[in-house]
Amino acid sequence: MGNSKSFTRALLVMLTISIFLFTGEIRGEEKIFQYPITTGTLANGLNVVSVEFDSPGLIAFYTIVRTGSRNEIEPGKSGFAHFFEHMMFRGTDKYSSEDYNNVLKAVGADHNAFTSDDITAYHSLSSSGALEAIIQIESDRFQNLKYDEEDFKKEAGAVLGEYRKSITSPFLPLIEKLRDTAYETHTYKHTTIGFLADIEDMPNQYEHSLFFFDTYYRPENCTILVVGDVDHSNLMALAEKYYGNWERGPGQPEIPQEGAQTEEKRAHLTWENPTLPIMAIGYHGPPFSDTEIDMPALDLLSQLAFSQSSPLYRKLVIEEQLVDFVQGSAFDRRDATMFTIFTRVKDPANVEMVEQEIYKAIEETKTVLADEERLNSIKSHLKYSFAMGLNSPKSVAGTLGHYIGLTGDPETVNRLYKLYDSVTAEDIRNAANKYFSVENRTVVTLSNDGGE
Amino acid sequence: MNRHIFVLVLLSTLLAAGCASQKTDVMKKKGIGLKVSKLPSAHSPLIAFRILFGSGTINEPAGKEGIAAITASVMAQGGTGEMSYNDVVQALYPMAANIGQQINKEVTVFTGNVHVDHLEEFYDIFSNLILNPRWDESDFKRIVDQHSNYIKNTLRSNDDENLGKAALNLFMYEGHPYVRRGPGTVKSLEALTIEDLKAYAAANYTQDNLVIGIAGGYPDGFIDRIRADFSVLAKDAPAVVDLPEPNPISGIEVMIVKKPNDGAAISIGAPIAVTRSDKDFYALMIANSYLGEHRTFNGKLMNHMREDRGLNYGDYSYIENFVQDGGSTFPVPNIPRRQQFFSIWIRPVAHENALFSLKQAVRELDMLVTDGISEEDFETTRKYLLNYSKLWVQTASRRLGYVMDSDWYGTEYFIDKIEKELALLTREDVNAAVKKYLQSKNLKVAIVTEEAEKVRDLLLSGEKTPIVYQAGNTPQELLDEDKFIESYDLGINADALKIVEAEDLFEG
Repeated sequence: MGNSKSFTRALLVMLTISIFLFTGEIRGEEKIFQYPITTGTLANGLNVVSVEFDSPGLIAFYTIVRTGSRNEIEPGKSGFAHFFEHMMFRGTDKYSSEDYNNVLKAVGADHNAFTSDDITAYHSLSSSGALEAIIQIESDRFQNLKYDEEDFKKEAGAVLGEYRKSITSPFLPLIEKLRDTAYETHTYKHTTIGFLADIEDMPNQYEHSLFFFDTYYRPENCTILVVGDVDHSNLMALAEKYYGNWERGPGQPEIPQEGAQTEEKRAHLTWENPTLPIMAIGYHGPPFSDTEIDMPALDLLSQLAFSQSSPLYRKLVIEEQLVDFVQGSAFDRRDATMFTIFTRVKDPANVEMVEQEIYKAIEETKTVLADEERLNSIKSHLKYSFAMGLNSPKSVAGTLGHYIGLTGDPETVNRLYKLYDSVTAEDIRNAANKYFSVENRTVVTLSNDGGE
Repeated sequence: MNRHIFVLVLLSTLLAAGCASQKTDVMKKKGIGLKVSKLPSAHSPLIAFRILFGSGTINEPAGKEGIAAITASVMAQGGTGEMSYNDVVQALYPMAANIGQQINKEVTVFTGNVHVDHLEEFYDIFSNLILNPRWDESDFKRIVDQHSNYIKNTLRSNDDENLGKAALNLFMYEGHPYVRRGPGTVKSLEALTIEDLKAYAAANYTQDNLVIGIAGGYPDGFIDRIRADFSVLAKDAPAVVDLPEPNPISGIEVMIVKKPNDGAAISIGAPIAVTRSDKDFYALMIANSYLGEHRTFNGKLMNHMREDRGLNYGDYSYIENFVQDGGSTFPVPNIPRRQQFFSIWIRPVAHENALFSLKQAVRELDMLVTDGISEEDFETTRKYLLNYSKLWVQTASRRLGYVMDSDWYGTEYFIDKIEKELALLTREDVNAAVKKYLQSKNLKVAIVTEEAEKVRDLLLSGEKTPIVYQAGNTPQELLDEDKFIESYDLGINADALKIVEAEDLFEG
């Protein structure tokens, strides 16, 4: 029962719940994020953020690039941001990929990267004494990445392998279909890993990869975030030394925004292997904001109507046992996102009934005001979920990095939770009426029984 | 509030016995009593519980496969005498507290995490779920359905990587207690009753079979209260399940699991007579990290298969059972075993490259066994593990789990043990341990593929199985090596080779 808006959850990563350095009761007037955040910016626009966290001798080092599959505006280039994340490990003139890995191996670092719709993040966890070594190799690859066409083509095989492992689950095609159907214009039309046809064509996109690096891997589009046993002035000095000469970029292409959906869309997928019927119901929603009330209101609505504590869950999962899970939420996204409800129905004969039950729950949010006690319970849940999710330098960096990716500003996290506190029952009802209309809805079902 | 940093309570230790080849005396200790350890991180407002019973799937009665998992799940994801499951859900919700269960071959663990603000209310629910479960028919049905659907509609059809691992376990441990896995079988689940669950819990969830782990900022006197509360459990532990030697493997034995898919998932393994309680385990850690450290670019498998050839997403090796903890690169704690196994995990590869990949992985293992590790690789890998292993215990809950596992294996704290043992090792020690425990000639292989007959025929014919590159001009050096790999003689045991339909696995 975690916060469905958490960074790691959004990336389908489960955090181990653990400690939160905390000095009193969690109260609305206090900042939710209670570790000291220190920020700085280099002349070239690179943001540098550090957070002191009680992890003696350990640091999490994140480089957050505010570019993801959202930026894949060219036809046939879906999945490119993720592919490029792979290419970032292919070395430079100074450090070959083997040299790069050897530096990290020498300090015993745990390092990796991930890509989402909006960001690409490169992260490591290591001893604090390795800070300069890490900055050295990271700054080098972000400025001087170099790979030949053969390396590029080889990596395409690894990405195809990643798609191949993911496509064994019916959820990837379901989400692919949902987004492809719901979006007409915006790049959220495709998933982060991209369409299979585009992945298969990646070996032929070497030239585009050079453009991609030149355009998006620029200091003004990145933030260095270090959490743990770190001194900010030392970090700034190292950042200046190693990133100071990194040149600003030429600017980024505009991303076409999605227009309003005017009629309900439906699609069905037939799955070759045995599966219970799965359903995704999506409504176009707002972009993430730490100043507007719509998204925080929808976050509370998702808890109200679709969490384990909701009447719908109680009815469908616990009492009548018609589904083995039901969940609904809107992921934080820089541009207009979708509020999506997923469920898996135990008996194919009940798919339509379950769909109607979901609509009943949604209609209730549009007409009935949530009572104060329930709202307080939800707000408590959100705050304690947040508090218990910050258990290590890595989880703190991951959480803060999520909000930096959305707005560029680490203080966003505090503004958001302050908004949560201010959400009223009327705000939730207003948001429900604003977004949950039939014409704004896309429904995708998946089963192996030949369709609806 | 006076907050203890970390306390591990051992109401008793696990009773366990092993086969003659295992050093299991350390696992038979009794009555260690209260043990206190300290974490360097102060002021933790989170409490982490790990309630461990020394029974798992090997303790399931005949014909009751899956009962260990169903029992624990109906307890942890059910109600108490006073509260329905929904009441529990509603009570835990504003706390954002969580309760879970983890079932493995030899142990079952109930986990709980809560903020100190809610400790009293949470503990009351958590302890009652274990000590006074509701045994509700509705909860039972819900949990059995979950497990049955997992087998029928996920494991057998939509999760090829885990299907490959499950098939390897089935193949490797035929006739051995370890053949049993958590979910059970479709038929055994259908036959279970609530009364079966009660009987299993009564026999296995006992004081002498219990280790209580707790970490975080709980108040003075809390340990005594837990001890008193859990003393209502029956006293005696169940009889120890003897573990025979796993069946010997003759050549490369292959089980092909047939199902529609877009790529072949491959798991390779063989039991090994070494665990964390053996000195040689630490030498093997170095060798294994060099060959295939999980989800890193350190291993030869990863570098030669993914990085050089673009075969797939990842290729790793293991010297003990490994279950990844969420999205991290680290294993979950509390999955100890008296007998372990070596394995290689080849993530899905294009069908046309399945046998090339299998051959390359086995050949890499063979080269490690034959040539050993160089002095330079030994030193860099040792240094890496000394640092990397410190990252495994960043949270109180994980460290608690590792402390409990160390007690189970009868060693000092595992992370300290790694530091101590690795410092004493030489390259010769590592290579000697590799020769002693690892080999590439007698292995079990599970391949999940839709091209079952084609794979079988190629394996039996001994034909070359050249790699098909997706694109690009491959360096001559690699092409030359490819010639060796495509013709590599696996030494297939034709009599042991079999094709099974995925839909027939875990049925009855």
